[in-house]
Amino acid sequence: MVLKGIKRGEMVLEARGITKRFPGVVANDQINFEIKAGEIHAILGENGAGKTTLMNILFGLLQPDEGEIYIRGERVRFRSPLDAINMGIGMVHQHRKLVAAHSAIENIILGHPRAGNILNLKSAEQEVLALAERYGFKVDLKAKVWQLSEGEKQAVEILKALYRGAEVLILDEPTSALTPQETEKLLESIETMARDELAVVPFITHKLPIVLAISHRVTVLRRGKVVACMETAQTTEKDLAMQMVGREVIFRIERADVEKGKPVLQVENLSALNDKDFQALNGVSFSICEGEIFGIAGISGNGQQELVEVLAGLRNAQGGKVILDGKDITHASTLERWQRQIGYIPSDRIHVGSIGDFSLVENTALSHYYDDQFSRRGILNYDALRKLTEEVISEYGVAAPGPETKAKNLSGGNLQKLILARVLSRNPRLVIANLPCQGLDIGATEFVQNKLIEAKKEKAGVLLISEDLDEILSLSDWVAAIYEGKFMGILPAGEAQKENVGAMMAGLQLKGYEL
Amino acid sequence: MRIGSHVLKLEKRATLSGWKAALISILAIIFALALLSLVFLLAGVNPLIAYHEIFSYAFVNQFGLPLTINRSIFVLLCTYAFIIPYKAGLWNIGMTGQLYAGSLFVLGIVVAFGGKQFSNPTLSPVLLIPFMLIAAMLGGAILGAIAGFLKGKFNVNEIVVTMMLNFIALWLVSFMIKEGGIFMKSGGEGESFELPKSLIAPLIKGIPFTILIALGLAVLIYYLFARTKIGYQIKAYGLSPAAARYAGMSTAMIPVLVFILGGALAGLAGYHYFAAVPGLYKIPKNYTDFGDMAFYGIICGLIAQGNPFAAIPVALLFGGLSNGGRFVQGQLQMNFGVDYALLGVLMISLVAFQFFYRYRFSWVHVEKEKFDVVIPHK
Amino acid sequence: MWLFLISSLDASMIFTFAGLGELINQRSGVINVGIEGIMLFGGTMGFLAAQSTGNLLLGFLVAIAVGGLLGLLHGFVSITLGVDQVVSGMGIWILGFGMTTYIGSPYAGPLGMERIPTILGISPFFYLGIVLVVITWFVLSKTNLGLRIRSVGENPSVAEVSGINVFKTRYSCVIIGGMLMGLAGAIYTLDYNPVWGYNFIMGWGFIALALVFFSMWNPLILLAGSILFGNLWQLSLNPQLVLPGILSRYIWRTVPFAITLVALVLMSTKWFRTRWGAARPEALGQPYLKE
Repeated sequence: MVLKGIKRGEMVLEARGITKRFPGVVANDQINFEIKAGEIHAILGENGAGKTTLMNILFGLLQPDEGEIYIRGERVRFRSPLDAINMGIGMVHQHRKLVAAHSAIENIILGHPRAGNILNLKSAEQEVLALAERYGFKVDLKAKVWQLSEGEKQAVEILKALYRGAEVLILDEPTSALTPQETEKLLESIETMARDELAVVPFITHKLPIVLAISHRVTVLRRGKVVACMETAQTTEKDLAMQMVGREVIFRIERADVEKGKPVLQVENLSALNDKDFQALNGVSFSICEGEIFGIAGISGNGQQELVEVLAGLRNAQGGKVILDGKDITHASTLERWQRQIGYIPSDRIHVGSIGDFSLVENTALSHYYDDQFSRRGILNYDALRKLTEEVISEYGVAAPGPETKAKNLSGGNLQKLILARVLSRNPRLVIANLPCQGLDIGATEFVQNKLIEAKKEKAGVLLISEDLDEILSLSDWVAAIYEGKFMGILPAGEAQKENVGAMMAGLQLKGYEL
Repeated sequence: MRIGSHVLKLEKRATLSGWKAALISILAIIFALALLSLVFLLAGVNPLIAYHEIFSYAFVNQFGLPLTINRSIFVLLCTYAFIIPYKAGLWNIGMTGQLYAGSLFVLGIVVAFGGKQFSNPTLSPVLLIPFMLIAAMLGGAILGAIAGFLKGKFNVNEIVVTMMLNFIALWLVSFMIKEGGIFMKSGGEGESFELPKSLIAPLIKGIPFTILIALGLAVLIYYLFARTKIGYQIKAYGLSPAAARYAGMSTAMIPVLVFILGGALAGLAGYHYFAAVPGLYKIPKNYTDFGDMAFYGIICGLIAQGNPFAAIPVALLFGGLSNGGRFVQGQLQMNFGVDYALLGVLMISLVAFQFFYRYRFSWVHVEKEKFDVVIPHK
Repeated sequence: MWLFLISSLDASMIFTFAGLGELINQRSGVINVGIEGIMLFGGTMGFLAAQSTGNLLLGFLVAIAVGGLLGLLHGFVSITLGVDQVVSGMGIWILGFGMTTYIGSPYAGPLGMERIPTILGISPFFYLGIVLVVITWFVLSKTNLGLRIRSVGENPSVAEVSGINVFKTRYSCVIIGGMLMGLAGAIYTLDYNPVWGYNFIMGWGFIALALVFFSMWNPLILLAGSILFGNLWQLSLNPQLVLPGILSRYIWRTVPFAITLVALVLMSTKWFRTRWGAARPEALGQPYLKE
């Protein structure tokens, strides 16, 4: 192993002048980066700043157009991830790169040079368990990955990198899918690793407090360039945010007080099964009034997706009722729900919320083709649809050459704007927003959040699902914490805090909030 | 490939204009014809002579041209039978079976109205011929509906289903026209009875009237997808069933609908072949011949990229090539199956050329390669 | 009756080999709907080679080679060129169907050679088939190589970052799969029914495809299904053994295809679907695009 015998403080990985171009954009522009053994050096930048590209280059998934990488002083060139792995670089991705159908241990030994021809899982298990103990990870190695929690899955990925002999660990948005408690445990593990002379690079979007809490140094990327590199001790959250975005950042959205009206949505004891026939939703009840934003906080996989799908008519309810404006729509078709003024912004904007090969007009039509206004006797009025599309494009600021552009050519933020425009142009009574700001940069995030508040001002009821606790807390009038298909508590905005909601998200039943 | 400081690179296309797509399709056809010349060479035939014979027979000769047109109508109808489900993202390779089913229904109508025993059936042709058309569509539609229903309700793979139905229909035809089957000719011989003269499809200047149906369909199909609500839903479903479902469309109904339509059109192709092509007017012993020709519909549909108007010249070309191929096979004493070989090379060329719909060649200027160190592998 | 069983087993082996080839393909994430084309080509070229040289073994070897080449073609078009796997498979099928009709027509008719010697009265391919099934099962579930193949089929990007060459793995599987399919075709024309006629494989390639789905990618279940099907097929050819006199023999010929349909429908029922969904290689049919 090339990296053994490195002393604390020695330069382990250095990247100089890394440049990478894609058609139309320079993703990385002369980036310099270095990390020493035993150091935790965070990289900050919003979506689109070039973090992912840089990460992929450091890991050998991409080749830089210019620039060099040095490991312990020696120039190296990664032609594939295998080269990087052999040089001791381990990567843990934001979206789990694990084979869901295989067990944890099978994932860990996948591709390992010492795995031998016939699988010997037992001896590997013992070695991995030793590693896990050392760094404070608790995982059932025999379990199938799809059965594990997000935190456990991440532990498996980290163990996989460590078992392969990684001495530089690159973590992509490591805390985005974790509860506050899991986050703490992870940070502890990272600190242990640093003490063990591993070098750790956490790539983080906007969890600035974590950066400040744990890293020794931080590098900030903006629009593909390095704009700052400093000792963490010498900077502040506000400072870092400004470097990241280039201007003053407002941390808290104004919640806006709106007079509540009558209930728009009433959900009574709703249950549902997930795709694998397990109980995903376990008797959930709540109601949303006009002019309210109801936020559901929770880690993905605790029933939110199923809840949203049942409300949209895309999944059958196993039991319970859904009542919209006083009418029982539990068994209504999806089309009927849209016609009754429910608007749904799905979490998957690429595969569900839009059709990439359709033009913007055709995409807008997804929400309007069944309207008498746009279709008479089976014929679609494309002219009217085009006009509507042009209107919403300008109203929502969707950056596109024209309404006939194909949706797949839009950036993530613009696509989300289009979907929002499409859904909100029907003036829905109930807006269901499922992870609406996922993967968007700060500008687009602000826009989306403001639009939701606007909808609230228009007396719609808004159901907001988000993994970002801060977002939920700043936007919602009511906060519910979901865990394993049940609400652990429903709190008004005034009482909801990171601590209590975070605890409920992790499954703790707090006194006084029993439902 | 490098020349100086420029490298030939493959890039993903951002957009694909209609003209470029057409160009690629034409190149694919030319490539296929080039491959076929290898076949000619191996058979000891000069490809240039062979192609000359093929084209002159198919498009210039006074006997060959009508045959070409008849084949083209057949191919065109099969193409439309393929295109409609294709727009929904589904493969209808069951045209063969559907056209057999259509033909059986047609013969059924003829028998029901006494056309088998008497040369003048009990009902006037003016009424019977439309009945026959409807019967053909019905037969094909029913077979198609099976595939569509299984796909829509149970999400069963439509490729295997339509293929199975093809064989089932194949044996059903045998059952009906051989060994005492209902439609058998009175002399035996494993072919069906001949249609009475009065029920022969009317000709317009020597061309069966089905050509009007085919051309009319081109317009209808284009209109269906360009303007109607249901066409929009089919397209959406074809591009993304998940998004279509989210938008409230009935994802169980759409496969059934497109397969009913596709099957009906294939049934019409059956009517055309067994009732409208001059000189035939029965299900012959070697009916698998044009059952197989239905597969030209697949290639034609793919090359035309689902555009019903573009399919017309392509169908004409294929009709001519397969017709000419048959002719040349006899003329130049080649083995049986030249038109089959053509079918094969056309398909594989087209499939390979699909690549160019997404990528293109371009010259890119690059810096000189810097010195690099290779990692020692353990 | 004994003859009936032997023929059934012979037929079963053809399904087994073709199905096994496709199973290996699919485990690595590549679907080939053109099994029929490869079987036709392998059978035809094998028949030609054997008849013209008088050497049966050569015939089989040629079939295997041809099958491998076609598998390579399918791999090239769908893996490297990134054409949709179903489209590519369709191309292979029609290529096979079209070309073999032309290439084989002058050879139409019986093989006219000595039959392959049998072991204990059953064709040697029966034993070979069982051995291959067991080997495949073992490799896939118990070895490192199998784990790699399965990972490529479930999640190629994960495999890639674990240091596995996805392209190489998929190519290997497609070529080996093709070889097995070509062999299956040759077993038909050189052993089971040594007569060449156009489109001799009569839909078996598609039935093999359905069998792979039905087997939930488990080679042992595939073997069982193939044997069942072989019996069904023989029955449809000889209905007089079971139900003499009822129904025209033509109707009987439709039975295997109808049963396949029924099997497919059964597979979509709830019981089947969840297990099937879990066993299905997740990346099946999706091209792996390196970004």
